[in-house]
Amino acid sequence: MTLRIIIAYFFMVGAMLFAVTTTVGLIRFPDVYTRIHASAVVLTISAVMLSFGIAIYVWQFYLSMKILLVGLIFLITNPLATHAIARASYRRQIACPEVRSVDDYSDYLERDQQ
Amino acid sequence: MSKTKHIFAVLILSLLGITLLVSLSKLPNQFEYANSIYHHVVNNSITETGSLNFVTAILYDYRAYDSLGESTIIFGAVSGIVLLLSRKTLPVSSHGLSFIVKRTFGMLTPFIFLFGIYIITHGHLSPGGGFQGGVILGAISIIFSIVYGSEFDYKRYSPTTKTLLETSGALLFIGLGFMGILLGGNFLMNLNILNAEVGSLLSAGSIPFINIGIGFKIGAGLAIIFYSMIQKTFKEEVDL
Repeated sequence: MTLRIIIAYFFMVGAMLFAVTTTVGLIRFPDVYTRIHASAVVLTISAVMLSFGIAIYVWQFYLSMKILLVGLIFLITNPLATHAIARASYRRQIACPEVRSVDDYSDYLERDQQ
Repeated sequence: MSKTKHIFAVLILSLLGITLLVSLSKLPNQFEYANSIYHHVVNNSITETGSLNFVTAILYDYRAYDSLGESTIIFGAVSGIVLLLSRKTLPVSSHGLSFIVKRTFGMLTPFIFLFGIYIITHGHLSPGGGFQGGVILGAISIIFSIVYGSEFDYKRYSPTTKTLLETSGALLFIGLGFMGILLGGNFLMNLNILNAEVGSLLSAGSIPFINIGIGFKIGAGLAIIFYSMIQKTFKEEVDL
C-alpha cells in the first residue's frame, strides 16, 4: 500500500462523508432553499473529491485526465442547476415566508428585468 | 391508501411475479443455443461486417431492414405530433433563464454537440450509435428553447432546417439501401466502401454512414417533437 493509494483512499472517504452529509441535509432541512443549499455546496465538493480520488487511484495520464474532466463538468453544472431551481422557485414564490428579515435577491431580480 | 387497495396491489404484484417465474423457467438453457444465430453472430460478425460493436453490427447490417422500420416509426410519431399540435401561431418567446445559465450553456453546448457527433461516428467501434447520439443532438434544441427562449431556437435552428435534416437522414438510409440493389446485391446490403482495417474509424463498410443518417434523423425528429409541443405551452409568457 503505497502513499499514493493512501491519498486516493483519503479523498474517496472524504467524498463519502460529504455525500452522507448531503443526504442528511436533504432529508432533515425544512424547505426548498435550505435543501438546495445542502445539495449545491456539499454534493459538488463530494463529486469533485471523488473524481480526484479516482484519478489518483488510477494514475494513468489519459484516464486520469478524463476522470478529472468529469469532475470539472460536475463543478460547473451542479451549482448551475441548483441556481436555476432556486431562482425559479423564488420567482414563483414557492415556500417563501411572509415576513423576511433579509431579502437581497429581490433587488437583483428587478435589475435583471430591465 | 386503504387496506383493500394494499391487498389488491399485493395480489397483482404476486401474480406478475409468478408469471415472470413461469416464463423464466420455460426459457431454453444455454446449451440449446449452440447452433443458433447468436453463435453465428458472436463468432463471425467481425469478419463479416467489420464492426467491433456487435449490437451495431446486428442493428445496421444483419437486421438493417428492421432499423429502417424503427426509424419509420419515429417518422410517423413526428408526423402525428406535428399534425395534432401544429398551430398557425409563431412560438411565443420567453426570456429564458438567468444570465449565469445562459453564459454557462454557451460554454457547454459545443461540447455537448461534439459528444453527440462522437457517439454517432464511433457507433461501430464503441457503445452508442445513431439512435443514442441523435438523442443527444436533439437535446441541444431543447437547451436552446429552455435556456435562451424559444424565439432564439426559432431563429437559429428553424423548423425548415429541422425538417430538411430529418428528411435527408432518412433519404441517406434508404439511398444506401437502394445502392445495394444497384450494385447487384440485396436491399440494405453492406457496401464495402472505404474499408480500412477493423477498429479504425472508416471501417465497417456502410454502417457508419447509416449511423450518421439515423443520427441526424433522430436528433431532428426529437427536436421537431419538442418544438411543436412547446408552441402551446409557452403561450402565457412563463417566467422562470
